[in-house]
Amino acid sequence: MIINGVSIDKTFAEAFPMKGTRIIITAQNLEWAMHSATAFTGFATSVIACGCEASIERTLDPSETPDGRPGVACLIFAMGGKGLAKQVETRAGQCVLTSPTSALFSGIEGEDGKEIALGKNLRFFGDGYQISKMIDGKRYWRIPVMDGEFLTQENTGVVSSVGGGNFLILAESQPQALAACEAAVKAMKQLPNIIMPFPGGVVRSGSKVGSKYKALNASTNDAFCPTLKGQTKSECSPEVESVMEIVIDGLSKEDIDKAMRVGIQAACDLGAENGIRRISAGNYGGKLGPFHFHLQEIMA
Amino acid sequence: MTALTLKLKTDLAQRVDCSPLTPDKLTGKDVADIAAMELVSGRLTLPVEELFDISGDDVNDIRFENSSAKLDHIGHAMSQGRITINGDAGAYLGQFMTGGNIEITGNTFIYTGCEMKGGQIKINGNAGDFVGAARSGYKNGMTGGTIIVTGNTGARTGDHMRRGMILIEGNAGEYCGSRMISGTIAVLGDVGKHLGYAMKRGTILLPKMPQHGITANFNDCGSHTLAFLPLMFASFKKLDSKFAKVEGFSRVQRYAGDVGGIGMGEILVKI
Repeated sequence: MIINGVSIDKTFAEAFPMKGTRIIITAQNLEWAMHSATAFTGFATSVIACGCEASIERTLDPSETPDGRPGVACLIFAMGGKGLAKQVETRAGQCVLTSPTSALFSGIEGEDGKEIALGKNLRFFGDGYQISKMIDGKRYWRIPVMDGEFLTQENTGVVSSVGGGNFLILAESQPQALAACEAAVKAMKQLPNIIMPFPGGVVRSGSKVGSKYKALNASTNDAFCPTLKGQTKSECSPEVESVMEIVIDGLSKEDIDKAMRVGIQAACDLGAENGIRRISAGNYGGKLGPFHFHLQEIMA
Repeated sequence: MTALTLKLKTDLAQRVDCSPLTPDKLTGKDVADIAAMELVSGRLTLPVEELFDISGDDVNDIRFENSSAKLDHIGHAMSQGRITINGDAGAYLGQFMTGGNIEITGNTFIYTGCEMKGGQIKINGNAGDFVGAARSGYKNGMTGGTIIVTGNTGARTGDHMRRGMILIEGNAGEYCGSRMISGTIAVLGDVGKHLGYAMKRGTILLPKMPQHGITANFNDCGSHTLAFLPLMFASFKKLDSKFAKVEGFSRVQRYAGDVGGIGMGEILVKI
């Protein structure tokens, strides 16, 4: 398959099941909501070392938030419910509770009503002065803090999600690969229910499963490292000088399907004349996970 | 199916315990069964048909017509369905209810919503003393649900209240929120003396300073913008009540008390 001169590999991206939730952070203005959301989703690019994958999904108008203030929706994913609960709690405690004027809400209903703590345990920071309020069947906590009161919903919903959707952009130069990634990420950011957790949504150090070193579960994806063309069984043709990856986590397989289609299309729109040669994907031969995103089927 | 209608046909000499006449307890019964059921009235037990004309068959939608202030325990421990009362109701309306709806066009006597756990009671009139309270000698009043009173309430509204919401469109009597443990009472009108007496926790929300002021047992914590108030006002919007039309506010003067006890309750007055 070729789109605008860009070859789409007959391969699939391999993704794995995760547990995810959406939280909403509001503040006096969008700037402060964003400060808090940026901190909350910091150091959350990959479960390999961060314990979770998180990013800002989108900004919210006051009309879209529970308390009528500007807000930011964040998605956070982990390999299991317990791990997710721990990450949400510690991040909420250190990055939202601490952030001036912030309030914290759940942005999703749990699958089969399944929930994890959001502010449930943060309330103890109130040292007995915390106040519970049941509003519309949901429990909120009012925790006295130095700038007034921190309002947080007690729980947030948990849903089965998909992590590790991905595609690779192979280009003739590093600037051209990055430009295609920027275009893809910009287009994908318009979609709901997904995040691209890496810096700017792009990974330049895609990994393969396993390593020659026993202590490591993952190591550099040498087949796509252009500098190793002559040293390994390379996937890079002579004209390919740079490969970058976009990793996508989503609330469902369908959300990732849509995002990959939009992202790949945006990269292909730049076309061969801008040095974009191929679209491939992180295929680990079925070793990584049960969700397979076939590139040619997605782009058909 | 049409609503099961129970039209009171006599002037009652004695109070009547209507607790068997709830959707839960009438499920599976036909009109003949219901007519033969016995109700306690004073020292007598009387069949339902002696007190009420019965029509309709939907036991999940019960209507009391020509109701009297001597009909006690209507909606006792109901968990679902709807009861509509045209006229007044006696004591203990909706006591122990866990779900469903009760609406009354007239006034209620004491202990409306006593120890209720869920559901909604709407009184389109006045309510007597001890709305949402605990029975005498018991420590927990209502623990969930909503009571809306379009008129006034008597004394001790929310006495020992533990959770839930009491919304009063008119005035509340003396000792409103007394011994309150948690939950929310909002009063659009005035409140009587001794507001929040022995209050432990919970919130009393007022759109204006009460005529009798705030007692010395509450300490002024200053003026604040509280983030939970817009959420609470937003939740009122779906209610069939004046509260749905109240312009929300988040700027309040906060008074904490009763400092004669643990002092964790609060009276919030709009500023």
